[in-house]
Amino acid sequence: MTLRNGILGTVIGMGLVVASAHADNIKIGFNVPLTGFAAADGLSARNGAELALEQINSSGGINGDMLELVVYDDQASPKEAVPIAQKLIEKDNVIAAVSGSYSGSTRAAAGIFQESGVPYISAYAIHPDITRAGDYVFRTSFVGEVQGRAGAKLIGETLGLKKVAVVTLKNDFGQSLAAGFKEGAEIFGLEIVAEYEYSIKDRQFGPIVSKIRADKPDVIYASGYFFTAGPLVSQLRAAGIDVPVIGQEGYDSQKFIDIAGAASEGTIITTSLDRDSSAAETQDFIASFEESSGQKADMVAASAHTAIKVLAAALQSAGTSDRKAIRDAIATTKLTASTGDISFNDLGEVQKSVQVQVVKDGQWRHHSVIDDPKLLAPPSE
Amino acid sequence: MLYLELLFQGIVQGSIYALIALGLTLVYGLLRILHVAHAALFTLGGYVGVIVTNATGSFTLAMVVAMITVGLIGVLTYKLAYEPLLDKPPFIALIASIALFIAAEEVFRIVFGPYGLSYAQPPLQGGFEIINGFFLKYAEALVICISVVMLLLLGWFSAYTRLGVSWRATVTDPDMARAFGVNIQNVRYLNFFVGSALAAVAGVLVALLNNLVEPTMGSVASYKALAIIVLGGLGSIRGTLIASMALGVIESFGTIYIGHLLDRDALAFGFLIIVLMVRPQGLLGSK
Amino acid sequence: MAYEITLLTTMSISVLFALSLNFITGFCGQISLGHAAFMGVGAYTAAIMMKASVSLLVAIPVAAVFAGALGLLVGFASLRVRHDFLAITTMGVVFLFVGVVRQQEFLGGEVGISGIQRSELGRTGFLLLCISLAALFAGFSLLVKRSWLGFVFDSIADNEDVSRVIGIDVAKYKLFAFVVGTAAAGVAGALYAQHFRYVGPDSFGFVESISVLAMVVVGGIGSVWGVMFAAAVLSVLPLLIQFVDDYKILVYSALLFSMMRFAPDGLAGIVNRSMNRIKGRSS
Repeated sequence: MTLRNGILGTVIGMGLVVASAHADNIKIGFNVPLTGFAAADGLSARNGAELALEQINSSGGINGDMLELVVYDDQASPKEAVPIAQKLIEKDNVIAAVSGSYSGSTRAAAGIFQESGVPYISAYAIHPDITRAGDYVFRTSFVGEVQGRAGAKLIGETLGLKKVAVVTLKNDFGQSLAAGFKEGAEIFGLEIVAEYEYSIKDRQFGPIVSKIRADKPDVIYASGYFFTAGPLVSQLRAAGIDVPVIGQEGYDSQKFIDIAGAASEGTIITTSLDRDSSAAETQDFIASFEESSGQKADMVAASAHTAIKVLAAALQSAGTSDRKAIRDAIATTKLTASTGDISFNDLGEVQKSVQVQVVKDGQWRHHSVIDDPKLLAPPSE
Repeated sequence: MLYLELLFQGIVQGSIYALIALGLTLVYGLLRILHVAHAALFTLGGYVGVIVTNATGSFTLAMVVAMITVGLIGVLTYKLAYEPLLDKPPFIALIASIALFIAAEEVFRIVFGPYGLSYAQPPLQGGFEIINGFFLKYAEALVICISVVMLLLLGWFSAYTRLGVSWRATVTDPDMARAFGVNIQNVRYLNFFVGSALAAVAGVLVALLNNLVEPTMGSVASYKALAIIVLGGLGSIRGTLIASMALGVIESFGTIYIGHLLDRDALAFGFLIIVLMVRPQGLLGSK
Repeated sequence: MAYEITLLTTMSISVLFALSLNFITGFCGQISLGHAAFMGVGAYTAAIMMKASVSLLVAIPVAAVFAGALGLLVGFASLRVRHDFLAITTMGVVFLFVGVVRQQEFLGGEVGISGIQRSELGRTGFLLLCISLAALFAGFSLLVKRSWLGFVFDSIADNEDVSRVIGIDVAKYKLFAFVVGTAAAGVAGALYAQHFRYVGPDSFGFVESISVLAMVVVGGIGSVWGVMFAAAVLSVLPLLIQFVDDYKILVYSALLFSMMRFAPDGLAGIVNRSMNRIKGRSS
């Protein structure tokens, strides 16, 4: 009897020790698509976030407390994201959360976090309404419109070209890019000679390619992700079209170069990650990411990494578990992260310069930087 | 010239549709099952093609290996999934097939990773100019050639071999065929083997055209192929061929001229609905 | 509590949605692979109205009318095409719906409609509304099933031609089933818009249509209790098996497949069989 009680007592005691060790951890929620159509980006985002966490914890955590990531798969679907947001807030009691997911789910979750007064940072979702959910919601990446305008400046000013064929991916990402690009096209006097749309499921662009050859543009502005842009660029080149192709952060993955092969050479994109950056933060991220995940770094991973770093810095400077104080700390962030110098405007939108990368010898390399605060001004209150 | 090119692009797309949809028609004609999981076999074909090509460097070998493995897995699918459901209402097999398809997509993602695979050294790159400005890519030429060869082979097989004749007999009238001593079971195995092998060919070719195989590669094929066989008149091989080509060409022109109004899928299904309202039994169906 | 309330709300909306398909497919035997389109019509209608500060309680009936109107149209199509042809036609409807919605500026295009305000009912009040609407439709379904209308539907589901011969106005009853079922789906859509406060074109596509059909078939096609139970469980299953996050869709599809393979008559069938066994033993 006594022996059993003794064992029981020890077990319960150990349980308490474990529980109390847990209680000291600072929990951060993370919703990310691990299954479904966005699973590839989801995996990159999770790897990027976990790397940031590991780096923070191994250098002493937040004032001695360890960070803990509570990860749920939202399938990039708003239907899954809403209960997940509530679970994170109520069951897991997270102090703040980061979205490693697409716009639909992030938008739906943002409302819940705002209502409960839990700070929420969107790593790479582009829907303009996300930050409009309220003052607890931030974004560390560009909204589509800003990047679209940057693309227009790149074509009109940096490259000095005029006649553009626009190929738009039909989803929220492509649509907001196209809207921003058209605004920019007017400013920089570009002439849009033709416009095509495709669906995220398309991989064969034969008809569009044929038509573009007949259009004879100076340059092609095509929105998409690496899995649509890879086939598109290789099919354009195979048909003998050799004008520059301008893409965006959706291309930003080594996988794009794997798919398009030699045809990818010379493709230029606007993005958040500069591989040849002199910033120690960026170089360190690129090297550590390759080591920890066995993958080449991409924009999504860097963005998730940045979002966690921003949150950690805010937790550090707030020095409390009061969510209002943490929110205020995020709002006044001044941080050099893997995706550049981060600060937020009054709406919680990031203000930073746009990196331009080009494919050279099968690698993403530095091309130029677009640093034009007026043109790149994110939407504000 | 542009019209000619668009027509040609439509035929390339149509050939791929045809290779995929034929297997579906064969299954439907014989068993009255809407075999959605067929699209997973198409994806599997793509994976086998890329993996074998990258491992051995031989594209031809990859094609053969893909056809055989996927063909056998097709037979297995019939044996394990459909055979026990033949006497159940048709939507049972349909839901089972959809479940199988989703499960297969997940298995592809877990086993091969979410980023997809590409040929390390994609074969048959480049192309040639036929007349001024009209480019033909080697890969596209191959798609059309292989489709034509496969279809001719299929035609010869069903018309001139003993097995082929008993196959056609079974499709037309299973009871009569059995009475004449045809082994129905073998015909079904053959049916699934041939249909799945054709899907594998399509998978290898699409992987070549895109230089990418992803877990979700079959998602478009899963429903588009259903639309095609229904359009063709369910179970009619000739109807399926015509419907495949018609859809390929309509999508090709539609993408350019009405793409800003409707996307590819909506275009295809809009066409389907119009045809069915006029001819409820499909283009070549009989009722 | 909000988490439990969210789960219960999700469940009751799914129950109503699944019952609405059950009315068409289970009762009247008309298979539909595009039922999410009608939910979408209701959701978009309600979303636009609520954005214009119209009360949810006003938006719900309007959503039902719009969805039912499209349902009537598809009902007419069901008079023309049958069986597998009808299944694929309804599938076409959902693709066409999503394709058209994507292009409409006033429906938010690709980005959808977000920022729908919470209704005056509050979270708990809204949950009660969802439960009562689901219960109301369940009650209606049970009533129909046991009335002469239920027999007419059974007869049509069983064999249309024979029904026509014995003097049943098949067209009239089919249209009735389509209008009622799709209007109920429209109500479920309005609730969906309020619940998630975001609607986008991808929320009402082919995948959603298949999920709801799966709920009906797993529950036991035509069985009101079975469908309710299956919808309640399947709608939150992904959240319940979060501990196997990476494999949860695989688990879901494996369960669905096993269900079709080993118990094709659904949960209702399993229950009936075991009831009969118990009865058989006792007598």
